[in-house]
Amino acid sequence: MLVSWNWLHDYVQPEIELEQIVDHLTMSGLNHESTTLEGSDFCIDLEVTSNRPDCLGHLGVAREIAVLTGALLKKPDVDLTSDGQTAVQKLCQVTIEAPELCRRYTARVVRGVKVGPSPEWLVQRLQTIGIESVNNVVDISNYVMLECGQPLHTFDLANVHGQQIIVREPRPDEQILAINHQTYSLQAGMCVIADAHGPVAIGGVMGGAESEISSETKDVLIEAAWFAPGSVRATARKLNLHSDSSFRFERSVDFDGIPWASARCAQLLAELAGGEIVPGMIDIFQPQPPREAIRFRYSQIARNLGIEIPVAFVKSTLQGLGLTIQSEDAESLTCLPPSWRRDLSREIDLVEEVGRIYGYDKVPDNITVPLTSSHKPQQTRVLERVRDVVRAAGFDEAMCPSLLPEVWSQACSPWTDSEPLVSHQPMLGVLERGSQNVGAVNCLRRTLISSLLEAKRINEYRFNPEIDLFEIAHVYLPTGGELPQEPLMLGLVSGRDYAEIKGVVEQVCREIDPATTLEFIDSELQILEQSRSATIRIAGQVVGHLGVVSPGGKKAFGLRQPTTVAEINLTALIDQAVLIRRFKSLSEFPAVSRDFNFILSDDVQWRNLEQTVREHAGPLLESITYRETFRDEQRDGAGKKRVLLSLSLRSHEDTLSGPQVDAVCQAVVAACQKALGAQLVS
Amino acid sequence: MNPETMTPLDSYLRDLDLLLADAQQAFNSATNLQEVEEARVEFLGAKSGRFKAVQKQLGQIPGESKPVAGQNLNRVKNDIQAALDNAKQRFSTESFRGQPDPTFDRTLPGSTRRLGRLHPITQTINELMDIMGRLGFSPAFGPEVEDERHNFEALNIPADHPARDPLENFYLSVASQQHGNTSLLRSQTSTVQIRVMEKSQPPIRVISLGRVYRPDTADPTHYPMFHQMEGLMVDRNVTLATLKTVLKLFATNYLGESVPVRIRPSFFPFTEPSVEADYFWNGKWTEFGGAGIVDPNVFKAVGYDTEQFTGFAFGLGVERLCMIRHGITDIRDMYTNDVRFLRQF
Repeated sequence: MLVSWNWLHDYVQPEIELEQIVDHLTMSGLNHESTTLEGSDFCIDLEVTSNRPDCLGHLGVAREIAVLTGALLKKPDVDLTSDGQTAVQKLCQVTIEAPELCRRYTARVVRGVKVGPSPEWLVQRLQTIGIESVNNVVDISNYVMLECGQPLHTFDLANVHGQQIIVREPRPDEQILAINHQTYSLQAGMCVIADAHGPVAIGGVMGGAESEISSETKDVLIEAAWFAPGSVRATARKLNLHSDSSFRFERSVDFDGIPWASARCAQLLAELAGGEIVPGMIDIFQPQPPREAIRFRYSQIARNLGIEIPVAFVKSTLQGLGLTIQSEDAESLTCLPPSWRRDLSREIDLVEEVGRIYGYDKVPDNITVPLTSSHKPQQTRVLERVRDVVRAAGFDEAMCPSLLPEVWSQACSPWTDSEPLVSHQPMLGVLERGSQNVGAVNCLRRTLISSLLEAKRINEYRFNPEIDLFEIAHVYLPTGGELPQEPLMLGLVSGRDYAEIKGVVEQVCREIDPATTLEFIDSELQILEQSRSATIRIAGQVVGHLGVVSPGGKKAFGLRQPTTVAEINLTALIDQAVLIRRFKSLSEFPAVSRDFNFILSDDVQWRNLEQTVREHAGPLLESITYRETFRDEQRDGAGKKRVLLSLSLRSHEDTLSGPQVDAVCQAVVAACQKALGAQLVS
Repeated sequence: MNPETMTPLDSYLRDLDLLLADAQQAFNSATNLQEVEEARVEFLGAKSGRFKAVQKQLGQIPGESKPVAGQNLNRVKNDIQAALDNAKQRFSTESFRGQPDPTFDRTLPGSTRRLGRLHPITQTINELMDIMGRLGFSPAFGPEVEDERHNFEALNIPADHPARDPLENFYLSVASQQHGNTSLLRSQTSTVQIRVMEKSQPPIRVISLGRVYRPDTADPTHYPMFHQMEGLMVDRNVTLATLKTVLKLFATNYLGESVPVRIRPSFFPFTEPSVEADYFWNGKWTEFGGAGIVDPNVFKAVGYDTEQFTGFAFGLGVERLCMIRHGITDIRDMYTNDVRFLRQF
């Protein structure tokens, strides 16, 4: 809201300087944005919150200043006697067919107006706050709006066909040529001001060109009305027609202040444009429920604000703001809020009013707050550990938008077959330059993998070496119920090979639970290679996926370089986390290491070998270490491999003897031979 | 032992021990290589060293005692030699630290395993959680996809409120369903307030931190997804003074020094009174976030007695704090994930 400093002085004459005034206003709710010198006046920019439409006029701001400084508020005198409706009713008629869109419509007529330039003082006031003068009639209606916050519209009565105003919804296929000389198609839910022929204005938004004030205009019809905020907002938005009027109607205008605004406009038209006011005002309205009185207990001030405020200050403030005190006792008062303050209906609202005028600077910032302990949830602790591990593995943390274009969403969905949730609004401006033709970004992601592949692509195209990224975020899995499941995932993308990404996954899982046993089974994910990929299970439950991105997957995401991905469902692991490790006693005896070189069929997997060794090595087994695999087709035949592994053996009771070690080795070799057909290379 | 009764062997062994003690004393107390050399000549000199002299006396030992005397002679020789070596090593840099290598460049970069970096948003969030944790606030969580009750109704945002406009929110539906159900991506973390209060009774001190969504077109200062931190404290006797005190403690902690904090009136549907909080930093008032006393309608929505309890809530944008903290000028950089960006923090 732009305010003229000189103009304010019509209503209030504070004894303090402009700078202090704007500080006061900032600290009482009208945040001061800037002040600029405009000729011999100052233009003050104040931020008005949506609950305070009363401050969208100079009078409202002046009222605040008066209350803050103790100065008197002078409202211009206006003759509100309406003298019945007879005279004006002979000149025009008003019908409201859409009362839900327009709860009140008033019309006055001023005849014999001489349209011409406005007086200099009026031109300057408007200019100070950035409004160009049009002619005296239009300027006056703007002036009154900026004075009291009630938008007005003036019609050339001669061009209102049938001298009829009908407030209604548009008929099918109706259009209007607006004052800005654009044609607008009107839609259901909009509020149309029509005459006998058709629309002459879009209620609360913009007037029509046909009935606008011109140099020919003699008789002016003044519209002052209440249009429904929601409808005005929707209309202005649909037509992309935002005006000072629509801005005010969207925030709701003062229902009871409408006659004053109408009369004030007529008065100024008579004074400044030589018109003659036709007695009376047409006033069609829905009766409003009466405002309820509010009981205000003084104790609520300290209870909510933490400070005491003298009763005398409370009363003078409320009265200054326009509330009427109806009764009072020692602990409380009962008062009625003014029509222009719809935001005041409860005790707590009055606490705020009194508090903000008294000054929040008087609220202390050093009181004693009772001490209490906080706790760090398991999830937070686990995530800290996980981040430590992946950081140590050299992965940088990424954050990707939660929405994806459909094409990326469809390319990979490891966790669900359900369609993704789709947003009615797409995310705009979130795609990188190289990805502009992938469609609207409107699918809630069901995996982090797609996002991370795009992140890798961006880095590849920027020639960044060593791209290792992780992200920890929720994915959204539709359940058929109202809200989706939102498991927390760890996603990894890298240029490293299968073994390395698997190693990181294993380390993460063991960080959460060192005793966990991971099972790596065939993966069916299309974006992963058939062999170098796996689905990860813990105790039969799928908790992750990993692998080398397949040629088709790379193509789908525009990747050029070797790429591996992994995704782990952290939510599935968090509850099982073992974050406090238990001590195991250390053996004081040395370990003995033995290497084994087995010839095996290719179809024997490491996990079979490891399991067989573990089962038969007995209690002396300390660890099994995989060393390497190599093939020698000439010596071993096709489909055979040599797997080298080491066992570490150790006893808690004694230094191991040669026969003890030999017995373990023999058991292992025999078991592997029997169970797996393994042949020991000696 | 009486010298009169000493056998020649006893006497010889005594001389040997004396010699060893003297030699060790001499070598151990030497303070430079010169003194070591002097001691070497004195004890191990080939012509007139004291060891040589004792060695010559071996001939005078009776035959049956000779093996014992010889063994001890050898032992002493070895021990003296060890003392000499030890002394030499003490003073010889080369023998102690090895040969110098003129080809070695001690300023070459160390070999490292690359450490990944945490996203600046995560770092900021960790800092915020840490500070709020010290003030007794525990983290609370809630879903990002919300229903209208938690995102609006219970927060005193009625159906005709502009904030519920379909164009101002990411309303959701399943692609195959034409009719939209009423879930949406949460537009604020205040939703978590409601979920916490539905489940538990005061006293409450929680913070919720996470992603929120509003359909702004991305530009240097806007992104349709961002992070908020929301704080909620409910108890008897929670007032605006409690809020101001907590914000002051928070700012002091975050900025590392005591800064003036002010609150000024504002408007939010879920707080009354509502305030904006600013802190005075680098010569100007900087916006901190929105806050206020929890609106009685919010308490009614979760079934709290408004006559017994009061509370405050505050919310702040993590991105803005993060960008100021790290000097980041374009919010979009934070979600492009260029590793050259990510590795700076």
